[in-house]
Amino acid sequence: MRADIPMGIREETHSRSLLTALVSLLLFGLFVWPGDSGSFSWLGSGSEDFQLETVRYYDLSNVQGTAKGWEREERILICVPLRDAEAHMPMFFGHLLNLTYPHHLIDLAFLVSDSKDNTLAVLERELKAIQASADPSKHFGEISIIEKDFGQKVNQDVESRHGFAAQASRRKLMAQARNWLLSAALRPYHSWVYWRDVDVETCPTTILEDLMRHNKDVIVPNVWRPLPDWLGGEQPYDLNSWAESETALALADTLDEDAVIVEGYAEYATWRPHLAYLRDPYGDPDMEMEIDGVGGVSILAKAKVFRYGVHFPAFSFEKHAETEAFGKMSRRMGFSVVGLPHYTIWHLYEPSVDDIKHMEVTNSRQQMEQERIAREKEEKEKAMKEQKMKESFGDATGQWEKDKNEIQNLAMQENKKAEEQPAAGQQGGPADGPANAAPKEEKKEGTQ
Amino acid sequence: MARPLGPVRLKRTSPGTIAVGIVLVIVILYLLVSPSAPDFSAARKATAALHPLSPPTSPFRKSSSVGGKAGPPPVTRYNLNSVTITNDPVANRENVLVLTPMARFYQEYWDNLLKLSYPHELITLGFILPKTKEGNAATIELQKQIAKIQKHGHEKERFKSIIILRQDFDPPIPSQDESERHKMANQKARRAAMAKARNSLLFTTLGPDTSWVLWLDADIVETPPTLIQDLASHSKPLTVPNCFQRFYNAEKKAMDERPYDFNNWQDSPTAQELASKMGKDDILLEGYADMATYRALMAYMYEAGADIHTEVPLDGVGGTALLVKAEVHRDGAMFPAFPFYHLIETEGFAKMAKRLGWQATGLPNYKVYHYNE
Repeated sequence: MRADIPMGIREETHSRSLLTALVSLLLFGLFVWPGDSGSFSWLGSGSEDFQLETVRYYDLSNVQGTAKGWEREERILICVPLRDAEAHMPMFFGHLLNLTYPHHLIDLAFLVSDSKDNTLAVLERELKAIQASADPSKHFGEISIIEKDFGQKVNQDVESRHGFAAQASRRKLMAQARNWLLSAALRPYHSWVYWRDVDVETCPTTILEDLMRHNKDVIVPNVWRPLPDWLGGEQPYDLNSWAESETALALADTLDEDAVIVEGYAEYATWRPHLAYLRDPYGDPDMEMEIDGVGGVSILAKAKVFRYGVHFPAFSFEKHAETEAFGKMSRRMGFSVVGLPHYTIWHLYEPSVDDIKHMEVTNSRQQMEQERIAREKEEKEKAMKEQKMKESFGDATGQWEKDKNEIQNLAMQENKKAEEQPAAGQQGGPADGPANAAPKEEKKEGTQ
Repeated sequence: MARPLGPVRLKRTSPGTIAVGIVLVIVILYLLVSPSAPDFSAARKATAALHPLSPPTSPFRKSSSVGGKAGPPPVTRYNLNSVTITNDPVANRENVLVLTPMARFYQEYWDNLLKLSYPHELITLGFILPKTKEGNAATIELQKQIAKIQKHGHEKERFKSIIILRQDFDPPIPSQDESERHKMANQKARRAAMAKARNSLLFTTLGPDTSWVLWLDADIVETPPTLIQDLASHSKPLTVPNCFQRFYNAEKKAMDERPYDFNNWQDSPTAQELASKMGKDDILLEGYADMATYRALMAYMYEAGADIHTEVPLDGVGGTALLVKAEVHRDGAMFPAFPFYHLIETEGFAKMAKRLGWQATGLPNYKVYHYNE
């Protein structure tokens, strides 16, 4: 027994030394091992965990949003819903880069849905270029590109081809997209959320600060759009920012649960005061107006509005959907909702189907007019030639002279016609010159 | 005793030493290359964000590890078309967000949470606590327990990530006492505040890769460990188990249990009638004698010994334990902090989900247990 005890200890010490040798050999081998750390993740896991932070702590009372967010380092989330928007990208990125709000306080979130063009690739390329820029003041904060297609639902939702009826489901779908974007991108460190459409053409670079200074829970500028001269030069664009009217409230009571009131359709005469129509180009841009429905082109809201549950209803909420219902729900929860009637941003003018038709009609009318004029000229010329022929037979003395003239004349006409033909095939404008010039010369010739 | 010592010792000790050595080497090698070990770290590595400005449902690399000055956050793409929500979430590696509004810390709640058998590396925990004295105490206790698991716990026990939020508004009633809490007059303000807390927690943590949201109140102290898998197996937009409470029955002189959550119900004509006569800002409440709604309560639908997977459709739900497909919340279904069809908070949530086309389902025979104070 006595002898066994030290024996046991000795045995242990021996196995220990053996173990130590083995372990040190193993460890040595691992350190010297040439492969990349990835193949040894099972060893790396220990050190990896030291570098990974799994617990985050945020005090939401620090992200309330104040009038001077840029001074207090308040983070703002810019949400941009996109769909087949490739063509607008250069314009949009121009605006984005010019924003004067400190870029490192701006987080960007894009939702690309059901796009058939190259929106996604262009977006990613542009954003990566910004983040890789040598100028650190250009860099933005967190950038998320979120892909989600709702396509199938579009087909299901279309209740009717009637534009007015389709409007409701279109708005519900837009609302759904906005909610998916927000819920995936809102973080506990955001004080503000700014919604911006890509197709804004003209907008102050200080828009974030300009809107923020009002310190309202929800605030929108006035949105107009420029028009071609023949359509009046400019026009109110966003009719979704309005104050509630008694007529509209009474109308809402008569509608069924799923109905959605949309502005700008004869079916629903609401007589609401629209922010857009109250614009005075020389008015005070800081003037505020309390509104109930808001348009979605450019919305600045405190993040707490969304944190407390206000969203873009994708169902009929108080007989509205999407941004208009967002305004209604904000009001329902006691938040301030304000529009600035004299602070205007400009939406891109894209000719509507009607406008394009109109322009086609005017174009073809111009063309027809030219053709008519050209035909008349030809007929006139023919008549004149015939007359000249008759006259020239009577007078033989200047025959040679006249023949020469005539030949020259015909040659000139051939040339003119050759010029005229391709020109008329194009637009009306440039063809005017030679077409008009020909008869003048002709007349001169004739009167001689 | 003239035998030389050396060979004897060698002869007598060498087999044992070699055996122990071999066994140890095998054990070490097994531990090092066991299938679970690379799995965990690989999963963690793959889900880790490169920058602190990132979805809180992911862990992130600490800036110190980057070395030198950190660059701007990367451009990150998330494809929500590929976030699946299936009846076999474990096999499909679906991320679950467990959300708990917490006013008090109960050790039993935490212990039960740790026992959940759903892979912890797929679970993100989110808490929101008020900035009251009680809330501060609960936060400290919670952080202590979290540190224990995330820093010193076994790999398998550690959660994917954990978010602790502090509420930006004061709860309307400072006391959390049972009698005070259930007074009918206080209900509307209390539940509106609760709704705001739930929404604040939900919409700042949901992120781009969550498939399921499990709402689990801080006073739920006992659930089957397979709670998430069991509820998800139904693959319903909203799934609610039946919430009971264990208590000492003085009459029977034994432990007993009773139904607890009365917010899981099927609507009744009486309740509809009551609602139609109410003002815009009034709410219907369940479980009060002076407001008899005659709704069918799931709490009373429990049948001992019956199939735990029996389903019933519900019109109102409670939030004590509630599994929601993330897409329901993403569509906008939230907890109204204002009367919505005369309903508020979780009951209003069920209604809003329904307006968006999502139906709630109750499991009357699947029980979870509420703390008894």
